[in-house]
Amino acid sequence: MIAIEGLSKSFETQRRTSHLALADISLSVAEGEFVSILGPSGCGKSTLLYIVGGFVRQTSGSVAVNGAPVTGPGPDRGPVFQEFALFPWKTVLGNVMYGLIEQGVPRPEAEAKARALIGLVHLGGYESFYPKELSGGMKQRVAIARTLAYGPSILLMDEPFGALDTHTRTGLQHEFLEIWERDRKTVLFVTHSVEEAVFLSDRVVVLTRSPGRIKAEVRLDLARPRRRAELLVDRRYQTLVVDIERLMDAPEQAP
Amino acid sequence: MRARITSLPGLPPLIACGALLALWEAAARIFAIDGLPPAHEALRQLPAILGDREALINILDSVRRMAIGCALALAVAVPIGLLMGRSRLVAAFFNPLLMTIYPVPKAALMPIVMLWLGIGDASKTLVIFLGVSLPLIYHSYQGARAVEEKMLWSAAAMGMSARRRLIRIVLPASLPQIFVGVRTGLVLALITMVTSEMIARQSGVGNILFNSLDMALYDTVYAMIVIIGLLGFVLDVAFERLRSWLVAWAEPVHQIAVGTT
Repeated sequence: MIAIEGLSKSFETQRRTSHLALADISLSVAEGEFVSILGPSGCGKSTLLYIVGGFVRQTSGSVAVNGAPVTGPGPDRGPVFQEFALFPWKTVLGNVMYGLIEQGVPRPEAEAKARALIGLVHLGGYESFYPKELSGGMKQRVAIARTLAYGPSILLMDEPFGALDTHTRTGLQHEFLEIWERDRKTVLFVTHSVEEAVFLSDRVVVLTRSPGRIKAEVRLDLARPRRRAELLVDRRYQTLVVDIERLMDAPEQAP
Repeated sequence: MRARITSLPGLPPLIACGALLALWEAAARIFAIDGLPPAHEALRQLPAILGDREALINILDSVRRMAIGCALALAVAVPIGLLMGRSRLVAAFFNPLLMTIYPVPKAALMPIVMLWLGIGDASKTLVIFLGVSLPLIYHSYQGARAVEEKMLWSAAAMGMSARRRLIRIVLPASLPQIFVGVRTGLVLALITMVTSEMIARQSGVGNILFNSLDMALYDTVYAMIVIIGLLGFVLDVAFERLRSWLVAWAEPVHQIAVGTT
């Protein structure tokens, strides 16, 4: 469970002025809930994710995860980045095992677990490949497996499918949902694609353009498990996508 | 015909070497001056030098100093470079120092170093160490600075401390860049090795070279130059083998220009 209270973040710019990136964000995410953060680029949505991850400090306000205030990164919150951020000197197996070895899991056990996860993300047979030998979609599968390996209770996903072509992207959305259905971890998912957010989430939080404030929250009561082919012809899905797109385009009220 | 030449990888360099020797031979015959003996006379000295116990001891002295200087530089320069890349404070401290020292030819420091440490191994090794350190610090610094932030975050999320990240993430991620620095450093080591022996003549390859020059033994001078060149070539080939084995995982690094002092 994530509790964000009155959170703001300002950066110092090149010209030594202060730029407000996030203003007064209050949001709580229940355990097992899949929440997407939608917003135009530059609205600070990724920054919000980094603050929850403990990678970036907020300027004011508080973030608590499972009741404890966030003071830094920790294995309870597993990030997946748009840039994949794999360790290029490690093989697929080495990458997926990395967190387990780091946490002192004995090697045979870590390897067995990593191999199972590599199978789960459909990369069986690629264990000894290096990241440079993989396509973007395969790299992101490795990154997802690497994060799942050390068992975080919360997944922090920073536009994870943003760098992929449309075909790979929809394929991975499906695969990821299937994996998520198995144990329904809490997910905070940043994206700028309305369709992606509606397809994946239980709730969508729309942010305003800079500074990012919460503009609207939309609960999505679409049945799970979801199938893209069925949803695309579903009136409720279509209405939700159109409504949220309209919401994003609507002029922002003065604070 | 063209296909046949390029299909033999060893042939083009052999042709280049042959052409250079032919040019040298021709120039020596045309100009006929003492300072330019024909290639075959210089090459004839090679077996004599390589068979001479004292010459071999001198060459080994040089190689030993170079190896020690390089090893010390690796041990000192890489950690400094990596720390500079990850800490703005460390970078702000070392950067002005490096900017000042970089353009100074390290061999020019030799006379001063000789005042402190004498003309023996210590001063020459120190000068080689300085020559190799700068490109190594520079490239380690660039490598560490370019490490993807998200890669470090991914490691931090696994519970890895900042100090461990420096060794387990920043060091391997910077290896391709560090190797670029080592390659430049090796060439500089060879150059500073010879020049230091030129200034403090006591032993070494440079010592033989410049003593022969004084005695007007020009064929030996040229033979020594060939030996130094071959030494550089062998080192570079061996290093490239090592590099391609150790960082086979890396995306190709841009070819590098050779540094000078």
